[in-house]
Amino acid sequence: MTRHGFVIDLKRCYGCYSCSVACKAANHTPQGVDWAKCVSAEIGTYPSALRQMLPLVCQQCAEPACMDVCPTGATQQDENGIVTVDPDLCMGCKTCMMACPYGARQTVSTFETYFPDAEGELDPYEAYCLEQWELKNGFGLATKCDYCKDRIADGKDPACVEACPAKARTFGDLDDPESEISILIRRNAGFQLNPEFGTDPSCYYLPPR
Amino acid sequence: MTAQSTQVKEDVWIPTSCGGCYGQCGIKAHRVDGVIVALEGNPETPAGSGRICAKGTAQLHTLYDRHRLNYPVKRTNPKKGVHEDPKWERISWEEAMTTIVDKLKNMKDRRGCYFQATTVQTSEIRFAVPAFMRAFGFKNYWVSGGGLWCGNGAHFMNGITHAAWSIIPDWNYNNYTLYFGCSKGHGAGHAALQSAQWVADARVRGMKAVVFDPYLSTQASKAEEWVPIRVGTDAAAVLGMINVMLNELNTWDADYLRWKTNAPYLIKEDGKYVRDPETNKPLVWDLGDNRAKPFDFYEMDPFVGPDLALLGSYTVNGVQCQPSFQILKDHVKENYPLEKVEQITSVPISTLRRVAKEFAENAQIGSTITIKGKKFPLRPSAAIFFRGSQGHVNSGWNCLAIDLMNHVVGAADVPGGAMGHGPPVSHGHPDTGKPETIPYACPDGLMIVKGWVYDHKPYPLREPHAPTRLDLQDMFPSSIYNAFTIMSPDWDKYREQFKLDYEPEIMINFGSNSVMTMANAHDITENFLKKFNFIFSFNIYQNEFTEAVADIVLPDASFMERYTPCVTFPSTFCHPTGMDEWVWQIRQPLVEPMFERRDFNDVMLDLADRLGIKDKYFQVINDLIPVRYGGEMSEKYRLKEGEDYTWTDVCDRVLKDRLGDTKGLEALKKTGLEKWPTKPEEMYWRWHVPVRVPIYFEFFIDGGQKASKLLAEYGGENLLDLRFYTGLVNWFPCPSHTEKRPEYELWAFCWRPSFHTQSSSQNNPWLDEISINDPFVYLMQINEDFGKKKGLKDNDWVWVENSVGKKIKGPVKLVQGLHPEHLAVAGCHGHWARGTPIAKGKGQFFDDLIQVGIEYTDPLTQGTDACVKVKIYKMKEGEAR
Repeated sequence: MTRHGFVIDLKRCYGCYSCSVACKAANHTPQGVDWAKCVSAEIGTYPSALRQMLPLVCQQCAEPACMDVCPTGATQQDENGIVTVDPDLCMGCKTCMMACPYGARQTVSTFETYFPDAEGELDPYEAYCLEQWELKNGFGLATKCDYCKDRIADGKDPACVEACPAKARTFGDLDDPESEISILIRRNAGFQLNPEFGTDPSCYYLPPR
Repeated sequence: MTAQSTQVKEDVWIPTSCGGCYGQCGIKAHRVDGVIVALEGNPETPAGSGRICAKGTAQLHTLYDRHRLNYPVKRTNPKKGVHEDPKWERISWEEAMTTIVDKLKNMKDRRGCYFQATTVQTSEIRFAVPAFMRAFGFKNYWVSGGGLWCGNGAHFMNGITHAAWSIIPDWNYNNYTLYFGCSKGHGAGHAALQSAQWVADARVRGMKAVVFDPYLSTQASKAEEWVPIRVGTDAAAVLGMINVMLNELNTWDADYLRWKTNAPYLIKEDGKYVRDPETNKPLVWDLGDNRAKPFDFYEMDPFVGPDLALLGSYTVNGVQCQPSFQILKDHVKENYPLEKVEQITSVPISTLRRVAKEFAENAQIGSTITIKGKKFPLRPSAAIFFRGSQGHVNSGWNCLAIDLMNHVVGAADVPGGAMGHGPPVSHGHPDTGKPETIPYACPDGLMIVKGWVYDHKPYPLREPHAPTRLDLQDMFPSSIYNAFTIMSPDWDKYREQFKLDYEPEIMINFGSNSVMTMANAHDITENFLKKFNFIFSFNIYQNEFTEAVADIVLPDASFMERYTPCVTFPSTFCHPTGMDEWVWQIRQPLVEPMFERRDFNDVMLDLADRLGIKDKYFQVINDLIPVRYGGEMSEKYRLKEGEDYTWTDVCDRVLKDRLGDTKGLEALKKTGLEKWPTKPEEMYWRWHVPVRVPIYFEFFIDGGQKASKLLAEYGGENLLDLRFYTGLVNWFPCPSHTEKRPEYELWAFCWRPSFHTQSSSQNNPWLDEISINDPFVYLMQINEDFGKKKGLKDNDWVWVENSVGKKIKGPVKLVQGLHPEHLAVAGCHGHWARGTPIAKGKGQFFDDLIQVGIEYTDPLTQGTDACVKVKIYKMKEGEAR
């Protein structure tokens, strides 16, 4: 089997938000939705303080907490471990959002243009994004990163992986011990975020130092 | 929706070049039924190799932004000034052009015209701006942000010592980088995406970076070590470390210094070279024969030359003299002892000593490496700098001092060392031999850059002469932009004093927002911009500049709606430096210009036509091509007199001439680029080009004296501080360093987030969204201990006031990542223009704290000081935020 996974190398990442914006563009996420959120924090005290960026994606847990609680069966896990939401089945109860320990799921109830002060109709690009969003996701429903499933099917990398200027992100097969990500994890003490949550994430991080 | 309307009729990918910053990475755009729906990196080009940053992807919104300017407008409110409402009224292109032509034709004196242009669209300003200036007959020019946001000191100094616009480490081999006030490889536009990959690779393989900065910047966070330093004291720190290398460790690359620098040149007591009476050539001391000889008496094989003296004292024709290296060695020993340096910089002596040792050791002096069968010295240490180091009264010397670290250990344009960027040596495309640029030597043996972007090369220095420019730039030997004259309340008096016989009349502005990028908005607007009778401007948005002073604003095409024949040459900021291929990249429209937008290049041609100067305009382009793209134009593709060319005709001819007959615009539109292999002696050129560079700057002495004498003829000798015009690298304080009033507790400075470009990106909704999410961009940072002492907590609103009472306000954030004596603000935020409502009111406008005047000006480069001593105090309840 193939288990799709991510490695995010915190040593390579320099916190440029390219992943966040590439994700917005590739998935047409509306204002208020950011599936590839980056969280920046300061650690330590002057003069040995550090600032570290933690880029997030859906952790595509092997034991997804979000799936168990879904009352309608909208949340599903495919044969490669990617957790998806079927917008036709989702009723927007948000139980999954509360269940996800990584805050990976987001929802917005209505569309808000990025240009609220502008007159006239939506520009062709925003109109296109809205159309795409309604086609694949929707308002008032749970939405989440699916590792750019459509792109993967086309043989491409997820958008955030392809964009990353520092090549900090690698996408691959966790079940293949010889895959690039498996080797990266083995050789560099790759770790899951908060393994104590018990959901067995498919996203691994390499230490910043 | 019918089945037919959902059928996709068009689905194409178009290769082009990004213009989101000056990095110009290769990208491709996805167009579906006439709408651009995606921008991605182009894996075919080394300039980015398939990656795209936040600014790049976000250009989707810039293309379609509904706040964009779509029609020509004119000002109907005659009152000009910061915050004025221009009360725009839409006009036709014909009315706009007729008015502009009428104004230009009826000028009292054409010399009173002034072109101001943006630094972001670097490739767009290569032709239309200078062609129009020369064809119409004026010399006044300003790059937005020049002297403040852009590189007065950095470009000038790198031009002298690396024949290049900037320097970056050769991350393929570098093991140790010292950063001073720059973020190269961490989002800066200097081959942005390529550098980011290289530096990440280097970090993983164990390259160590040590960052001297008052601020825990992105690069400092990623570095092995952050060394907090008092702002603007970089040269002092570096000279202390050079003192350690030369006088404690006795470490230097003697071969490099002997044969690639003027270190062996003999200097007499007056600081000047000892010259050969017959040939006038500078003399060196040949230890073989034990006598003085002209510096070029030998023919040198790579790596092998005669034994020239670097140390000691000699007598030549009865004159006492010493090699310049000996003088430098003694100078740093006497003037930069570590105790003194620690006091100036706040960097502990032990740190300075250790870092100097690490830098010297990592340089591996004596080691070599073979690349593609050729042997090169391997020097894997580099010291680099940019905006942070040069934004000071000591701009020029800060840059030269930092770069001197590289020259002491021979780590200049060799594997592992500090590399001229973009690559300054190019042998040209294998089919055409163009673009060809190879630096050459002056009679004194020192390097002269071949192609250069400014109208005057960094070396030899300009001969100061009676002013022809409104900013008096011609009177100063090494000035790039003179802000202190034009922005002074005394500008009128200066022009009278220096007998300029014409007045400012008309300004043409291309894309710049100078009200936010030259210093405080009031002085720029009142003292400078309002002196023009008529200003017309090409913009994609209305901004603080247009709203304050423009009379007519023309809706420009964005970089996604126009042709540019080349963005990667001249390889100023964008061409990767290293053994990847050369790439010639074009820019092409992704969509036709929407609404009534027109490309700046087309409009300038139209204007030249209406003014009857089109022939001359084309002739200037012919003259410029060899300067920009190395190598004369062939007769076949020269623009001919009497012919009428469109802008795409010009692009096509340039391409065919540079790349070959079959590689015109139509061919390049398909691929977006042309590539050819690099040679190691192009990239690592230092030992393959017979030039030397100065470690002792003898020519400044003459330059300063000439300028001083000239200024004195007009009673203006106070405008040049001659202390700066010496042969030896020094640190001189800024006014902020001598401000002793106790209430001015903090140094304020600005920093640049990697996901913004100067003042041009803040209206982008995606970049705004990440700026809101980022904890540091829209708040003013102070050190937590200082804040607590002041009774401040996160998000408290404060006033920040400079030494003459100018104030900015905003919320503070208490942080650990800042030297306790400082306040850090993200630069170029705090917009107020009506035309950019997303940017409006976000963050703070740091530049309002910056003063302009001779005391805030680097005497060497005329760059503006951007560090300010401030007091901060909490805003009162009820004060408007």
